[in-house]
Amino acid sequence: MNWLFPLYLAGAAAIIAPILLHLRRRPPQDRVEFSSLLFLDAQTPVPVSKRRLENWLLLLLRCLALILLALMFSRPFIQSESTAAASPNSATLILLDRSASMRRADLWKQAIAEAEKQLKAAKLTDRIALAVFDRELTPLWSFEEDRNTPANRLTAIQTRLAALTPTWNATQLDRALIAAVPSFDSSTTTLKKRIHLVSDLQEGTKLDALRTIAWPAELTLSVHRLDPATNDNLSIALAAREDDRSADALVRIRLSNTRDSTLRDFTLAWQNAPKSDAITAQIPPGASRILTAPPNSTNATTLTLTGDTHDFDNRIFIAPPQPSTVRIHFLGKNATRDEASSPLYYLARALQPTATLAPVLTADEKLPAQPADILFIVGSAPPDGLRDYIERGGFLVTVPSDATLLKTLTGLDLAVTADLSDEYRMLAEVKTEHPLLKPFADPKLRDFTKLRFWKHRHIEIKTANPSLETLATFDNGHPAILSARIGKGMLIVLASGWHPADSQLALSTKFVPLLYGWLAAAGFSHDPAATLLVGDSLPLDASQAHTITDPENKTHSLKPGETFTTIQIGLHKVQSAAHTQKVAVNLPPDEGRVLPLEPTKLAEYGIKLATASETSAASETTDQRLTATDTEQRQNLWWWFLVTLLAVLLLETAVAGRSRHSAPAPA
Amino acid sequence: MPSATFLDPAALMRIKSLELRAKVVVEGLWKGMHRSPYHGFSVEFSEYRAYVQGDDPRYIDWKVLARSDRTYIKKFEDETNLRCQLVIDHSKSMKYGSQSYTKADYAATLAATLASFLMKQGDAAGLTTFADGIEEHLPPRNRPGHLRRIITELERPAKAAGTSLDLSVGQLADLLRKRGMICLITDLLAPIEHLEKQLALLGAMGHDLVIFHLMDRAEIDFTFEKSAHFRDAETGAERFIDPQIARETYLKRLQVHRDTIQAATDRHNVEYHFCPTDQPLEEVLFDFLSARQRKKASKRISQTV
Repeated sequence: MNWLFPLYLAGAAAIIAPILLHLRRRPPQDRVEFSSLLFLDAQTPVPVSKRRLENWLLLLLRCLALILLALMFSRPFIQSESTAAASPNSATLILLDRSASMRRADLWKQAIAEAEKQLKAAKLTDRIALAVFDRELTPLWSFEEDRNTPANRLTAIQTRLAALTPTWNATQLDRALIAAVPSFDSSTTTLKKRIHLVSDLQEGTKLDALRTIAWPAELTLSVHRLDPATNDNLSIALAAREDDRSADALVRIRLSNTRDSTLRDFTLAWQNAPKSDAITAQIPPGASRILTAPPNSTNATTLTLTGDTHDFDNRIFIAPPQPSTVRIHFLGKNATRDEASSPLYYLARALQPTATLAPVLTADEKLPAQPADILFIVGSAPPDGLRDYIERGGFLVTVPSDATLLKTLTGLDLAVTADLSDEYRMLAEVKTEHPLLKPFADPKLRDFTKLRFWKHRHIEIKTANPSLETLATFDNGHPAILSARIGKGMLIVLASGWHPADSQLALSTKFVPLLYGWLAAAGFSHDPAATLLVGDSLPLDASQAHTITDPENKTHSLKPGETFTTIQIGLHKVQSAAHTQKVAVNLPPDEGRVLPLEPTKLAEYGIKLATASETSAASETTDQRLTATDTEQRQNLWWWFLVTLLAVLLLETAVAGRSRHSAPAPA
Repeated sequence: MPSATFLDPAALMRIKSLELRAKVVVEGLWKGMHRSPYHGFSVEFSEYRAYVQGDDPRYIDWKVLARSDRTYIKKFEDETNLRCQLVIDHSKSMKYGSQSYTKADYAATLAATLASFLMKQGDAAGLTTFADGIEEHLPPRNRPGHLRRIITELERPAKAAGTSLDLSVGQLADLLRKRGMICLITDLLAPIEHLEKQLALLGAMGHDLVIFHLMDRAEIDFTFEKSAHFRDAETGAERFIDPQIARETYLKRLQVHRDTIQAATDRHNVEYHFCPTDQPLEEVLFDFLSARQRKKASKRISQTV
């Protein structure tokens, strides 16, 4: 039997009191009522000498009560085998935050110092592991390594720590903690498990995923929050543009100031821009404003905020406009480019350069030497080389006047006849869900009633299960748009041309979206590149090899299918065989929310936080004490002592009551 | 009368109603008697005397006047009857009792018994209770309901006070103008130097004085064994007493006290009855009646002599 408070056992010495009281030579205390003391003289009370114990049962009960009281207060518990076997050693995982916000002031130095302090505090018999985290957990020193080479771990870990610097990544504490739980391997089962989290615990950190797990009861988390001299911070992040499609769309940014910040004045300017172009203004604490970036007269790629104490989140990189060239060839006379009745006339006017696309329209009666990205054929044409062109990935749009070309390309038995009726046709069924008609997926744009076709050809397919897919039909049931995937390429067949002689298509609002939809289908998306944040993968064409030059001018060669996860902010140059692109990678906006969280916030997610006493360096005895307290609280033996004590006291009362009845009376 | 047939006082005291208790005793006694021992002395010789001026004409015996043409005054029957005043000690010391009943219980029963007995004979009985002075006073009467009043008064709990025999007896002398019998029921646990003077006064007033001296068996024999603090019931004073040592002195002093009382009563021709509370009541009553008869007889002898 063990005692939680053995000092109280000394209280059992109090049994000397009842023994002495029972032995005390005391004058008789009995009182007798008598009618008159007329005939009685007072006598000196002779103390009753008690050389032997009287009422020994009473004395025994009283002593027992005192002993039980002392036992009860000393909180006994029985140290079971398992708890005795539990080693006082601990398995400690030090989690070091190295997200971008740790770049502030000397936080990283503090973090290293705190980690080393924890390392030094650990005994040789303790198991230590160290991991760093930002978006994810990176083990630096595992429990297994520690088990194999515990002697030189301090040097080894210090060396590894020295090589580390904070990254530009966001903080995802939830993922890090979830990943940290399994790192306590089977060798640590008997040890006290603890995680020391060394972090600035900024409010921008992610915690939501912690709700998805049940935190192990035996694992405690000690939070060592690092606080810089000031948390005042201005941060900027890209906001959505008003109109992404136009090349000269204004860059809009979101500027935030921390709560209770003393900072107000800021200057926003493009790098190397003249001072006159800078925006100088004020932002109140806790506010968030959307601003339009100042005019970018120098075509700079970096927007810089000044006036802030922590500059890690004061830059925004914006890739320069770099439209990709689309080579479009119209098989026909180039001379018709300015003839309002020719199809080329409308193509040339519809295919205007955008922020992301730079269409180059050539027209010739021959196929170009370098294969065009998209080829337009109106009328009949010799099929020489076209099949190859398509099968290698070409994109052909044709308005056939006879079946020859189609037969060659598709290998189907079909007939193309001119529809000679005088009535105009309208589109009846349009498969707007088809990728080639994606621009019309929006119900607002599905009104084709103003589109009239004066002339069309009836394309009759005689083969069953043709590879030609009908995307749209006229109101007489004849197919209007057909498509077929041939080899790697795509064939689009229009039953009617877009020039005014055939239809109103070129003059309608549907023409340009239709063309750009085809461009997108051909691999020339004109959507602006999504803003990338650190940690995102660069959008790469899986079929090609790439060379990536990061902002530090290091090159990375990637084989086809490989991905590249960004770890730095700045402009990344992505080179492939086809084209070169600059991609801007920015800091995750949440990283700028640097106000510290209270460590107790973690407890709301079910994490067992270590108490203040446990986090102190000299907590070893406290730990043992806590184990004992736990055991004692589980067993609650003192309760039984209390019950026995009450029983003894009741018995004592009964015995004392009975002996009181035998007070002196006339015999 | 053999004592074995008497009712055990402890058993008697178990009867809750005082009236019933008195009745039990009186009935028992009544059955044992063939002739009232009081007959002859309780009714004094009634006489006619010649009317003198100043007498109340109410008392003229008109029948005699009609028959003999003389005016005689007839003495009233009640005047010749015994007027007995029961004087009960209600002091705190009377509340002592080593048995299941106290001296006060015994005294009340005795008084009730006497009252009941006397009133049954046609005598008048009154009641006076005293402690450190007269508490209640009921003049002697023989009317229906008077016994009830006496018993109610007896049942009233005693006032907590000490005994002042001489003062109380002195006050009593003022209250009782008519001659009669006075039965003083007390434990006489008070200095009796002054009492003697008062007894003499009452005797001189022509009262016939009877003292019932009640004592508990524990008071008589002092049978305590363990040393203890003894507390005086009247004064509350405490004294440490070792009974082993104190008994001899106690008994000696008690004997002197009793002797003194005996001597005083003898001197003033007061009838003295020593009544331990474990003595059956009938026996006390019987002794009392026997003594009265003896007194009457001796009176007659002395008168004839």
